[in-house]
Amino acid sequence: MRISINWLKEFINISLTNEEISDKLTMLGLESEAAYNTSSLGNIVIGEIKDIIKHPNADKLNLCKVYDGKNTLPVVCGAPNVKVGQKIAFAPVGSILPGNFKINKAKIRGEVSQGMICSEKEVNISDEHDGIMVLDVDATPGDTFINYLNNNLGALELDITPNRPDCFSHLGVARDLAAKLNIDIHTPSYDKKSFSKNIVKDMINISLEDPEDCPRYIAGIVKDVNVGPSPDWLKRKLESTGQRSINNVVDISNLVLLEMGQPSHIFDYDKIDSKQILIRRANKNEKIKTLDEETRFLSAAELLITNGKKPIAIAGIMGGLSTSVNDKSSTLLIECAYFNPPVIRKGAKNLGMLTEASKRFERGADPDGTEKAMWRIIQLLEDVANGVWIPGIVDLYPKKIKQDSIKLRRLKLDILSGCKIPDEAVKESLTNLGCTVKKNDGEWICKPPSWRPDIKREVDLIEEVVRLYGYDNIPSNLNYQGIMNDGIIDPHRSLSKIINILTGFGFNQIFSNSLQSSRKISALNFKSVKMLNPLSDKMSEMRTSLFQGLLDTANFNFKNGNHDMMLFEWGNVFEQEADGLEGIKEKLYLSGLAHGFYLKSSVHSDESLPASFHLIKGIVGALFSRLKINDINYDKFEDISIGLEDTHTVKVDSEIIGYIGKLSSKFDNLLNLAIGESYGFQFDLIQLMKLADIKNEYKPVVVYPSMIRDLNFVLDETIPVGEIIHVINKNGKNILIDSEPVSIFRDSSIGDNNKAVAINLIFQSSKKTLEDKDVNPVINEIIRVVSKKFSAKLR
Amino acid sequence: MKLKESIESVRNQFRTDSDPFPSDEASLNSLRIKYIGRKGLIAGLFSGMSDVLPKDRPLAGQLLNELKIEINSFFYEKSNVSKKILTKENTDTSLPGINIPTGHIHPLQQTLDQIKSIFSDVGFSIAYGPEIDDDFHNFGALNFPPEHPARDMQDTFFIDPETVLRTHTSNVQIHLMEDQDPPLRYIVPGRVYRNEAISYKSYCLFNQVEGIYVDKKVSFSDLKSMLEYFVKRMFGDNTKMRFRPSFFPFTEPSAEVDIWSEKRKEWLEILGCGMVDPEVFKSVNIDSNIWHGYAFGMGVERICMLKYGIDDIRLFYQGDMRFLEQF
Repeated sequence: MRISINWLKEFINISLTNEEISDKLTMLGLESEAAYNTSSLGNIVIGEIKDIIKHPNADKLNLCKVYDGKNTLPVVCGAPNVKVGQKIAFAPVGSILPGNFKINKAKIRGEVSQGMICSEKEVNISDEHDGIMVLDVDATPGDTFINYLNNNLGALELDITPNRPDCFSHLGVARDLAAKLNIDIHTPSYDKKSFSKNIVKDMINISLEDPEDCPRYIAGIVKDVNVGPSPDWLKRKLESTGQRSINNVVDISNLVLLEMGQPSHIFDYDKIDSKQILIRRANKNEKIKTLDEETRFLSAAELLITNGKKPIAIAGIMGGLSTSVNDKSSTLLIECAYFNPPVIRKGAKNLGMLTEASKRFERGADPDGTEKAMWRIIQLLEDVANGVWIPGIVDLYPKKIKQDSIKLRRLKLDILSGCKIPDEAVKESLTNLGCTVKKNDGEWICKPPSWRPDIKREVDLIEEVVRLYGYDNIPSNLNYQGIMNDGIIDPHRSLSKIINILTGFGFNQIFSNSLQSSRKISALNFKSVKMLNPLSDKMSEMRTSLFQGLLDTANFNFKNGNHDMMLFEWGNVFEQEADGLEGIKEKLYLSGLAHGFYLKSSVHSDESLPASFHLIKGIVGALFSRLKINDINYDKFEDISIGLEDTHTVKVDSEIIGYIGKLSSKFDNLLNLAIGESYGFQFDLIQLMKLADIKNEYKPVVVYPSMIRDLNFVLDETIPVGEIIHVINKNGKNILIDSEPVSIFRDSSIGDNNKAVAINLIFQSSKKTLEDKDVNPVINEIIRVVSKKFSAKLR
Repeated sequence: MKLKESIESVRNQFRTDSDPFPSDEASLNSLRIKYIGRKGLIAGLFSGMSDVLPKDRPLAGQLLNELKIEINSFFYEKSNVSKKILTKENTDTSLPGINIPTGHIHPLQQTLDQIKSIFSDVGFSIAYGPEIDDDFHNFGALNFPPEHPARDMQDTFFIDPETVLRTHTSNVQIHLMEDQDPPLRYIVPGRVYRNEAISYKSYCLFNQVEGIYVDKKVSFSDLKSMLEYFVKRMFGDNTKMRFRPSFFPFTEPSAEVDIWSEKRKEWLEILGCGMVDPEVFKSVNIDSNIWHGYAFGMGVERICMLKYGIDDIRLFYQGDMRFLEQF
């Protein structure tokens, strides 16, 4: 909502600067900023056009003499509306206009031009660029344009919250400001005109189908109206809020809308041939051509103004073309009504129409304002458009809008505010806002004004009191209460540790979009959760895995020349396991992938380490070691549904908590991947965090020395080393504390389908220093079992 | 004790001989032979042990061993240095260090962690809740009547007419108050969704942290002090801030908190807050005559953008390493 400062000053007597007004309004909850950006208008001054001659070498150009307060300068100008005597916005040589447009001294078709006469667009006021901006005649040449702008066109852009329909008007904003500043407010006359005989009643027959939809409907008639251009004051007033003048009738309606927030509609009375108005819901298949010449297809959600048969307006949203006012109109029927907010809201939404009228009606107009607006419009039509009022009005008000008195308790005010706002301040605030206030013992009884539909409860009054008292004036209470929660303080408390470990290993954390295309989702066979109203095809379903996001990110960076990546993300994935909300399962995952080289060869070492299954396995092992999670088992897993191939489950205490493997090639096409193979992991993060939370207990350090032995077995190539280690460990007789493969050797000398595996065995006892006689029998047993089970031979 | 003196003299001699440490293989070898060769100085000292009185032998042995370890480890260290470097005349210290893989914690995570820690420090617990929820928890219970204009503010993704992608983590407020009796004090981080066109300043989802505190006497004054404390910890002790009246369906009175940007010379909105609306308490059967509360909500992205001067929200979700590596 654009508020003209001069208009505001018609209602209240204030001497604040525009900036101060803006700050005051913001601190009242009417978020405000200057309507024009003047930051690059500093060099522009007021000029006066002293003389105009035709440009000798160009038909469409004029040669103007512009007086800038000191000198008279030649300026070439092409605007059609330039006239001698005009005051204009003059950009002298050297000024830089919005958009970094620098004014230089120039020769235009042989004539010197020292500056520019600006259009509204060139000074950021509007998009108007057809001619120059003509200023008020009393502007002083040489004054800065910014001053002129602030004084004549000063305006604020307000962001009105939905609870304050009353502030969609200059009067409403003035009321709030006056209440805060504790000053009086002067309004134009909204007085009733007296009449002895109600002639209007005989000229139009108005009926309502449902008073619920339209609690109040007022109509008045003015005849002999001269529809034509508005007087300058009216044009300027509308322009100061960014509106264009159309004709005097439309302008009057708009003026009242912007002044007091009451939408009205003016019909050409002669075009309502039935001389009857019936307000009813639309029928299915009914349609109307509205003022903007669009045909609107209606449904029972919309409320209509009809002539008894056909619609002539969509109530509270837009008038119909068939009864619209034009140059030839003379007798006008004015409608001021109060429509039920939800009805207008629903209708406007259905039709996809947001108009100045609907915006106000759907938030709640002032039911008493309808009548005031009617008298104001009639007066203006008489004053401005030579109209003659036909005595009487029709005022249907079958469903009186009630506003109950509300009790405000001192106790409640003190608890909620946290401070003691003085009695006088409470009463003054509420009275200033238009409430009738009665003070009782420890409480106030308030009746809010008709224009504040948002004040319904005690807490609403408290808000008003605190708001006017000033949020700044409420002290901060540093007396903080103690501990109150005996439950879990943060269920994710080990997450930071996991993130720190993974980033320490070189993984980068990413956040990716939870909304994905069905194409990407279809890489895996999970039943996804789909949106009814997606933003686009690319974001129509909820992710079922974190892998797509990780792969997309790897691919994005790959294309930008970053070929080696270790990425991880944590977050929810979603599955529609059964129908309805109950059937939606949200699962918290931690997934990651590695692509390219973990370590690259360098000047220090020729060795490089590409991403591989074993890299991921190593990372997972190291992560678990840091988290103190023991007894991990990796088992081959044939299922490829989670998006990994050569998958292994990661089990802790025989429970699967995650998977490692190679990222499935199913993703390649569906995600248009350019990257090569990558390896990844996926964990159930809830389980992982739970395991990471378990406290590990201290074990005494073993002081006796360990004994290291190597065994080198030759066995069949196909036998997994892990199985040999497993068998060795099982036969360690409590003194084998670790066994680790150290090399694998392949050569025809040991047989083509064989390999030699060297294994390091470490023996240690917590009770004594081991000797050969303790270790040898265990080693012999290990050799025997391994040889037998795997047909292995010692090398 | 003669041996002790001999040990010290050999040590000093070695320190002189080994500085500078020989750079060619031949002189390195002769140095090795001189001290730790089979007939070297150390071996000579050991053979002198027999002349030491039995009572002095343990100490002498210990001293001699120490010298042997010192010299041995000296050779070990020096010769273990990468051959590439050793074979050159000098160690080229201007070469870059060995490349250690480095990962980076996402700026949103860092900001979220900081927010969490500030509030846990003063006694807030942390709770999480569903991203997909029913209309009641996301709107109804939070005093958004079906036709309320505030729904204009949040255009929502629907799964079905009764199920939405939550538009704020306030839905968890409702779950918490349904599940436990006051007093309670929580912050609720999580992803929330808005059906908005994607641009540099808005994304279809963002991370929010909601806070709620319900007790018998909770005031607007308490809310102010809490958020002042938060802002100071998050943005620095000298941060200028203001509370200005605003409107949310689930709080009354409501406020918006701005901080002053000296760089941009303007107030920047960082969070919304207010006193829990009695209608919200009513929907979870908490008596608003006894219990009062405050609530606040902030966008992690917004706070992070202000903190680091990031000007495009999409950067957070693009995963561009050139961006992430800066944090």
